[in-house]
Amino acid sequence: MFKLIVEKELREIIGSTKFALTFGVCAVLILLTFYAGARNYQVSQKQYEAALAENLRQMEGLTDWMTVRNHRIFLPPQPLSALVTGISNDIGRNVEVRGRGEIGAEDSRYGDDPIFAVFRFLDLDFVFQIVLSLFAILFAYDAINGEKERGTLRLSFANAIPRDKYILGKIIGAFLALAVPLLIPILLGCFILPLLGVPMTGNDWLRLALVIFAGFLYFGVFLTLAVFISALTERSSSSFLMLLVVWIFAVLIVPRTSVLLAGRAVKVPSLDEHASQRSRLAAQLWSEDRNKMADFKLEKSADPEKMLSQFNSFMQKLADDREQKMQALSKRLNEERRNREAVRERVAFGLSRISPAATFSLATTNLAGTSLDLKEHYLNAATDYQQAYAKFMKEKTGMLLGGFRVMAFRNTDGEEPKKTPINPHEIPPFVYQPMPLKDVFNAALLDLGILLLFNLIFFAGAYAAFLRYDVR
Amino acid sequence: MIIQNSSNGHPLLEAENLTKRYEDGVLALDHVSFSVQPRQIYAMLGANGAGKTTAINLFLNFIEPTEGEARIDGIITHKEPLQAKQKVAFVSENVMLYPNFTAMQNLDFFARLGGKTNYTKDDYHHVLSRVGLQEEAHNKRLKGFSKGMRQKSGIAIAILKDAPAILLDEPTSGLDPKAGFEFIQLLHSLREEGKAILMSTHDIFRAKEIADVVGIMKQGQLVMQRTREELAGESLEKLYMEYMGKA
Repeated sequence: MFKLIVEKELREIIGSTKFALTFGVCAVLILLTFYAGARNYQVSQKQYEAALAENLRQMEGLTDWMTVRNHRIFLPPQPLSALVTGISNDIGRNVEVRGRGEIGAEDSRYGDDPIFAVFRFLDLDFVFQIVLSLFAILFAYDAINGEKERGTLRLSFANAIPRDKYILGKIIGAFLALAVPLLIPILLGCFILPLLGVPMTGNDWLRLALVIFAGFLYFGVFLTLAVFISALTERSSSSFLMLLVVWIFAVLIVPRTSVLLAGRAVKVPSLDEHASQRSRLAAQLWSEDRNKMADFKLEKSADPEKMLSQFNSFMQKLADDREQKMQALSKRLNEERRNREAVRERVAFGLSRISPAATFSLATTNLAGTSLDLKEHYLNAATDYQQAYAKFMKEKTGMLLGGFRVMAFRNTDGEEPKKTPINPHEIPPFVYQPMPLKDVFNAALLDLGILLLFNLIFFAGAYAAFLRYDVR
Repeated sequence: MIIQNSSNGHPLLEAENLTKRYEDGVLALDHVSFSVQPRQIYAMLGANGAGKTTAINLFLNFIEPTEGEARIDGIITHKEPLQAKQKVAFVSENVMLYPNFTAMQNLDFFARLGGKTNYTKDDYHHVLSRVGLQEEAHNKRLKGFSKGMRQKSGIAIAILKDAPAILLDEPTSGLDPKAGFEFIQLLHSLREEGKAILMSTHDIFRAKEIADVVGIMKQGQLVMQRTREELAGESLEKLYMEYMGKA
C-alpha cells in the first residue's frame, strides 16, 4: 500500500508538465551555479597568482632586506567558496605584513567590483534557499487539499487504506519525486568542477556532499511544511497563500530582522571609536618618546657605526615599548569588541534560527568555510604568519622591523662594490589552511540538527493534521 | 467476475438507527434504518441536504455516527472501517480522478489500492469498454475527458474492485441521456451479478426504472420506503411531491 502511494506520487509529479518546466529551470540554474562558480574560481585564482607575482616583483632589485616594504599575503580562493560564497567576497583578501603591529585585511572582491555586490553571486545557497524552497512549495501546497478538491481523496479512502500509510507515502513519494531528479544536475555540476580546473580535495568533496545534504534537509522542511499546511486547510488557494506568506517571512524577513534586533539589543563599539582611542594613545606615547629622544645622549665614540647602532638600539627599545603598550590597548579593545560582537552574533543567529532559511545559510557557510569565522580564521593565520615573517626578517636584518630606525648612507667617490640582490623567494610563503573538517562540521552540526528538527516537526504536524482531516 | 452473496445471510448494506448530528448542531440524519440485500438496488431520493450523502459518508466511515450504526456485510463501519471498506466500492458525484494519468493508469492505481493486484491491461480495457468508454480514450490523460467520460471511468474503478456492495452518490448527475441509459443497463448487469447497490439520486425517473426499493429522505429522516411491487401502479413522482410537500 505504502509503495503504491509512493509510486503514484512519483508518477503523478514526474509526469506533469509543471514538473517538466520547473525542473528544467532548476536544472539549468544548478548547472549554471556550478559553471559560474568554477569560472569565478578560475578568475580568483588568476587574480591571486597575479597578486603574488606582483608582491615578489616589488622586491626585485632590492639589495637590502631592511628596505623590504609592503610585503603582502593573500587569501587564496577556496574551491567551495565558489559554490557557497558566504562572506568570502565581503572580507579583505590581502594583508600587509610588517613584522609587528596589528594587521587588517583589505581589498574585498565586492570592494574591487561593486557591481557584483548589487546582485550578489549565484551560488548554491541562493539556489536552495530561494529557488528550491519555492519549487517544494509549488508541488506540495495542494498535496492534501488538492486531492480533496479533485475528489480523489474521497475515492481513495473508500478503500481500506490506513491514513498513516497514506500520508507517509505522499510525503516520501513527493520528496523522492522532487529531490532525486535534482541530484542529476547537481552530480553533473560536480563533474564540471574538475573539468574547469577547480582542484577539489577529498575534504572539499565531503564538505560539498554535506552542503548538498543540508540543501535537501532544507528542501524537506518546505516540503513537509507545505504538506502540513495543505492538511490544515480546505482549499489549495488558501494553503498556497499561507505558504507564500510563511516563505516571505522565513526567507526574507526573519534573517534581516534578527540582525537588526540584535544590533539594537547589543551595542558594539565601532572601529572608528577604537581607532580614535588608539591614535590618542599613539600620540601620547609618541610625545613621551620625543621627550626621551630629546634627553638621549650618545656615548662619545669615534666609530660612527657604533654610534648608529647605539642610536638604533635606543630607538628599537622605544619602539618596542610603544608597541607593547599599543598592543596591550589593542588587545583589550579587540577583546572587548570581539566579546560584544560574539554576544550580538549569538543573539542575531539565535533569533534568525527560527527561520529555516537562516539556519540553512548558517549551516552551508560553516560547511563551506565561508561563514563569519572565515575573517577571524584568516586574520589569525595572517597573525601567525607575521610572527614567522618577523623571525625571518630578524634573521636577515638583525632587528625587528616595523619600528623607527636610522639608516646610514655613505657617500663614496669610487665605485661601490656591486651588492647582491635579495632573493624574495626566501621569504617564507603564506600557506592558508582552511578550517579543519572537524571544526566546520561541529560548527554546522547545530544548524543541521535544527533543520532535521524542522523536518520532524512539520512531518509530525502533517501526520497529526491528516489523521483528523475531513476527507469528504 | 464472480460476486458472492452476503456470506453470513444478513443484508450487505444495513443502516440501523443511523443518526448524525454535526458539531454545529445540525441533525443531518435522524434514526434512519434500511437495508440492501444482494441483487438489490436501493434508490435513495430526496432534496439537497436531505441526508443522502451523509448516509453514504457514514457507510464509508468518512464521518462517525452520533447514534446507531452502518454495517457492510455485517461489519460495523465505524468500528472496523478497514475491513468494512474491503466489501464496498464507491462512485462519487463528480469523479475527477488524476488528470495527468490516463484512464488505464487511473484504473490500475485504484484497483491496486482496492487490493486487486492481478489485473491485466486487457482486464482494464474490457471494463472500460463495458462502461462505454471509447477505446481510443483508454490511453488518454483524464484532463481532456468530459464529465461523462470521467464518470464512466469512476464506474469502471468501482466494477474493478469487485466488491459485493456498491455505493453510488448521484452517479447520473451530468450524464447525457445516452450515457444515462447505458448506466442503467450497467446497473442491471451489476445487480444480476449479485451486487447490493445503494444509490442516492435526484432522478426520480431512473430510480423508478431501476430500483428494487425506493426510499425518500427528508430533513434527515427516511419518510417513505417502498419496494418495486408496492410502487406498482403508483406514481413515484406524485408520491415524492407529496412527501416533499408535507411539513
